[in-house]
Amino acid sequence: MSGHVKNMCPQLTISQAARTLLSLLLVAAIDSVSAGVVCRKQPCGSSLQRSLKLTKLIHKESVDLLKTYKLSQGDMSELFCQMSINNVPDPNISGLDPSERMLSIYSHCKAFLPHLKRVTEQQTDLQPPSSSLLSKLSTAHNRTNGLANQINCIYQTLFPNLPIPPEPVDGPTSVPPSQNVFQQKVYGCVVLKRFKEFLSRVTRELRTLKSQVCTRRTTFADTNALF
Amino acid sequence: MISMLCLMLFVPRVFSSSTQVAVIFPQDPALWMGSSLTATCTVSPERGLHANTMYWTLNGKRLPSSTYGLLSTNGLSVTLHRLNGSQQQSGDNLVCHSRDGHVLAGSCLYVGMPPEKPVNLTCWSRNTKDLSCKWTPGGRGETFIKTKYTLKYKLRWYGRERECEDYSTGKRYTCYIPKDLALFTPYEIWVEASNQLGTATSDVITLDILDVVTTDPPDNVHVSRVGELEDQLTVRWGSPPALKDFLFQAKYQIRYRLEDSTEWKLVDDVGNQTSCRLAGLREGTVYFVQVRCNPVGIYGSRKAGIWSDWSHPTAASTPHSEPLQSGSCDPKSGEQNSTLRRELKQFFGWVRKHACGCSGMSIKLYDQWRVWLQKSHKTRNHVGKNNIPFISVPAQHRLHGYAQ
Repeated sequence: MSGHVKNMCPQLTISQAARTLLSLLLVAAIDSVSAGVVCRKQPCGSSLQRSLKLTKLIHKESVDLLKTYKLSQGDMSELFCQMSINNVPDPNISGLDPSERMLSIYSHCKAFLPHLKRVTEQQTDLQPPSSSLLSKLSTAHNRTNGLANQINCIYQTLFPNLPIPPEPVDGPTSVPPSQNVFQQKVYGCVVLKRFKEFLSRVTRELRTLKSQVCTRRTTFADTNALF
Repeated sequence: MISMLCLMLFVPRVFSSSTQVAVIFPQDPALWMGSSLTATCTVSPERGLHANTMYWTLNGKRLPSSTYGLLSTNGLSVTLHRLNGSQQQSGDNLVCHSRDGHVLAGSCLYVGMPPEKPVNLTCWSRNTKDLSCKWTPGGRGETFIKTKYTLKYKLRWYGRERECEDYSTGKRYTCYIPKDLALFTPYEIWVEASNQLGTATSDVITLDILDVVTTDPPDNVHVSRVGELEDQLTVRWGSPPALKDFLFQAKYQIRYRLEDSTEWKLVDDVGNQTSCRLAGLREGTVYFVQVRCNPVGIYGSRKAGIWSDWSHPTAASTPHSEPLQSGSCDPKSGEQNSTLRRELKQFFGWVRKHACGCSGMSIKLYDQWRVWLQKSHKTRNHVGKNNIPFISVPAQHRLHGYAQ
């Protein structure tokens, strides 16, 4: 019996070490993953510059997207865009300090995604299959998702101690219930108009953030080096 | 709080109270072209809007008040006659406005016709691997509203009915079946059309995949000069590799044109050779040449297939002729470059060689040259050592009034 126990001790030790190692690895993995996105640490300036370029691209495309959308809905659609609808994200970026504003950009990107998806679904029924509107909507959705992931990673790098809230619930409370065709036309116009305005604000915000946050971190690192 | 929640639950499915404050009936109707419609716009009484201050627009255009009907203090109707087909597939926008132009409510009209049976259904297979089909809508009226077309097919003698799934090849009224097609057995294929106003089915076509085969255009098309001959070019090409295992005898066509012309000349009697000589061309001129292939005789069948696309244009130029030796037989330098001029040069060349100079020039000599020319063409049209068919554009002009 004691022999059996003696024989088991090394296995227990190995097992414990393995568990400890596995736990450490898991923690490290979780630490670098947030909201399902794996981020690699990159220089502050170049990351934000990349996001800025992506934002400018999506914004430029959103202008054409809105124009194409209006043309596809028929005359008088300009008025549709001016109507107000509940539950469509507003284009304003909120927050006082850079971390809050960056988080607001991320949250807004995520909030627009289900609406872009809903508009795409609705327009798929309304437009001929060859309509360029459908591909432009799909591109806008994909690029916005990519931008959200980039902002997520930059946020994790700059503010590692500040958690990112869980993703907004994607369900019936975020997009409107089934609508008649006229309501769909109005809804799509409002979504795309606010989306365009949001991206314009994000462009300005990222420029500001780049000068604020990346410069500050450089200064912070130099300060530490003095000690 | 609970009463507020209950109120919210019973609010009709409209926009928030700051937006759509009225309801239009009917909502999103489908209508026949030429029919009439009476729509009503009913405003919520608490809005304080009177119906006689409202107006209607259709696709942005204000409708005349003579078409309106005052139903009540908060209800206004409009009657439209002889409706035209919808301006866009998302529907015509019939909108009810307040006096200052604000949108109170809207309804989208789908005006079209039930589909007629699709026509001109044709299919082709690329290298026996797949099947593409195209058709034309049977009527115009169905094009104003969203009409769904479903291509269906089944093996004629057995097998279940299947639907084509890939309509995204970029062209309308086409569908693509990428794989799992049987050979040596006929398929039945048809198209079903449906929209909100009705359905229709095309005639059924029956085909064997091997009877509708096309292939890729020939590759490696090369065009080159034939020595110094200023009126000829040789064209060579490769047979399409995709069908090399099918033991078929392809046939080819060539077409060529001048660089600055849009008119192609077709050479149809190339047969199954993979090279050909073009003659009767203009000297010192750039020609564009294309070749296409017809996969005749797949698996031993004698039926012709479908012509491939033309190959990418290949260009080459014919040589300039050498300047003529001086003498009384030289053509004047000021003469226009023409078929006649070319023929004259050929004649003078022959005279220098065979008629001991120009001293015995006469129309008889010219006739002798014409006889010699025809005899030498007949000889060259037979199969030569390179098996290159000789194709000539015969001269058109005869000399008139030449020196006696």
